[in-house]
Amino acid sequence: MPTTAVRGNLPKPEGATVGSVAVAAVGVSKRYGDRDALCGVDLIARHGQLHGLLGPNGAGKTTLLRVLLGLVRRDCGSVTLLGRPLESTNGPLPDGVAGFVDTPAFYPYLSGRNALALLARLDGIGRSARDERIARALHDVSLTPHADEAVGGYSAGMRQRLGIAASLLRSPRLLFLDEPTSSLDPASAREVRTVASNLAKDGASIVWSSHHMSEVEDLCHTVTVLNRGRTIFSGTVDEIRALLPPAVHALSTSDDDAAIDLARRRAGLRVSAGAMGALEVSAAIDALDEYVVALGRAGIAVRALQRRNRTLESLFLELTGGAVIDAPDSTEPVAMAP
Amino acid sequence: MTFRGLLTVVSVEWAKLAQQLKVRIVILVCAIGPFAFAGAMRGQASVPADTLFGSSVTDSGFAIPLVVLGFAGLWALPVLASVVGGDLFSAEDRYGTWTTILTRSRSRTELFVGKVATAFAFSLLALFALAASSVIAGILLIGAQPLVDLSGMLLSPRDALVRVVLAWSSVVPSVLAFTALAVLASVWTQSSAAGIGLPVVAGLALQLLTLIDGPEAIRRLLITSGFSAWHGFLSEPSYYGPIVHALVVSTVYLIGCLIVAHRVLRRRDIGR
Repeated sequence: MPTTAVRGNLPKPEGATVGSVAVAAVGVSKRYGDRDALCGVDLIARHGQLHGLLGPNGAGKTTLLRVLLGLVRRDCGSVTLLGRPLESTNGPLPDGVAGFVDTPAFYPYLSGRNALALLARLDGIGRSARDERIARALHDVSLTPHADEAVGGYSAGMRQRLGIAASLLRSPRLLFLDEPTSSLDPASAREVRTVASNLAKDGASIVWSSHHMSEVEDLCHTVTVLNRGRTIFSGTVDEIRALLPPAVHALSTSDDDAAIDLARRRAGLRVSAGAMGALEVSAAIDALDEYVVALGRAGIAVRALQRRNRTLESLFLELTGGAVIDAPDSTEPVAMAP
Repeated sequence: MTFRGLLTVVSVEWAKLAQQLKVRIVILVCAIGPFAFAGAMRGQASVPADTLFGSSVTDSGFAIPLVVLGFAGLWALPVLASVVGGDLFSAEDRYGTWTTILTRSRSRTELFVGKVATAFAFSLLALFALAASSVIAGILLIGAQPLVDLSGMLLSPRDALVRVVLAWSSVVPSVLAFTALAVLASVWTQSSAAGIGLPVVAGLALQLLTLIDGPEAIRRLLITSGFSAWHGFLSEPSYYGPIVHALVVSTVYLIGCLIVAHRVLRRRDIGR
């Protein structure tokens, strides 16, 4: 597991100018008792971009979002939202900033529409504009048919969509979303991603927290990866793709132990027991060819050899110390034992 | 903090209260409870002679609100003072809605002051409902006869009504102090059970403390002393020392509780 952060071409925190970035968090730390929840974390997101905030559970994503939304006091570091410094947890959230952490919560005895109406009042939205904006927000998240039902009867997915609608009421130019599709069915998740993409096209900056690299890879332009409260990558999605190691091959033999033993005596390749019972071979193609021939000479039958692509998901898991699981490539196996 | 922002928070809190069955039931009980009591007194031969003005409940309708006030001071007023104040903050913890309301355009201080103002307003509304209902029930069901005060002087109906109003008004500081105590318990413990229950238990404990022999200085520091200070209005000559003292004690409790509660809320990490 890497111990140092990898930084791409995102603006350096100290060089992030007010006009170029929507959110600049620099050196943010937060300690709970004897545990460092965040340790010198940086997060820079530009206007008009979807910025992925990645990390496994417990990495510090939600704590960082709480700090950025002014819910939790940071021990040190600075936060600037839309060019304005976030000084304390007492002030109101600046205009144009919205978001939620965890599953959004509402008063169960209110209807979805009334819940939004109360929040719109807290935002100072005038009565004349309120109803129209609430109706549009409900429509954007496909909650109009359930708008007059009590929130207490909503599913987690519906509450999540209502949370997004509540954020949309603030006409966000900077939006923090904490795993916004985690409780949604595929169709609803696609709708939410579309809403976020459209907001970004209109110039808003979206910080999208997730522990699914594939979702961030599809949606976001830039990404910050956290692990155990520290930044371990910060850059564009293309830059994190460039970190991918060469393809590995899944190898199935008649005697895997002997095959591993043989590999140990050869240079230029790495063989390990992988998932699904197959061996994982990481090697340049020449070394792989020589290894396959050597296996045959040693009387070890090669039953299957299949190339696997290294996905960003697997890189993410590797970066964050999780188990590496590679997706099978769609290509045919490159070699088969007779 | 702006005045407009404060009014917004108060209006939002009232809109939430209006949707809650508990709140409607409390106001309903305050409004019809005294009628039930006055009706029961009217229909039975015996009277609660061991309570102040208890022996007069069938002689003058103005005795009804005073008996109700004496009885309510034991436990009902702490309950009324706490039922909203003790729940207004901790309900946000129960529903997990702090993150929802703190990510809007209102500061923590605005939300705090708005919620406190709402809790005070509700406590006063409930107190007013109980007082008004007691007076109306007494006059309608018993009659507006002259009232014999604690010194044995006969008060005219008009004079009796004025003193009844003053007596009920005198418990306002103590009720608000109990509300502030409930707010503090609610903010500190993040539990509605504690927010409502602790002030009630504290009220009963303080009442018991006044019954046992102890240093007078300690008894004078008790928040419940204001619930019996009204006796001075119903004596001849009237005396106001206990009322002024209760006002000072209640103000100290109120300010102290609110300062601590505000500080706790401001410094709190939400949803750790």
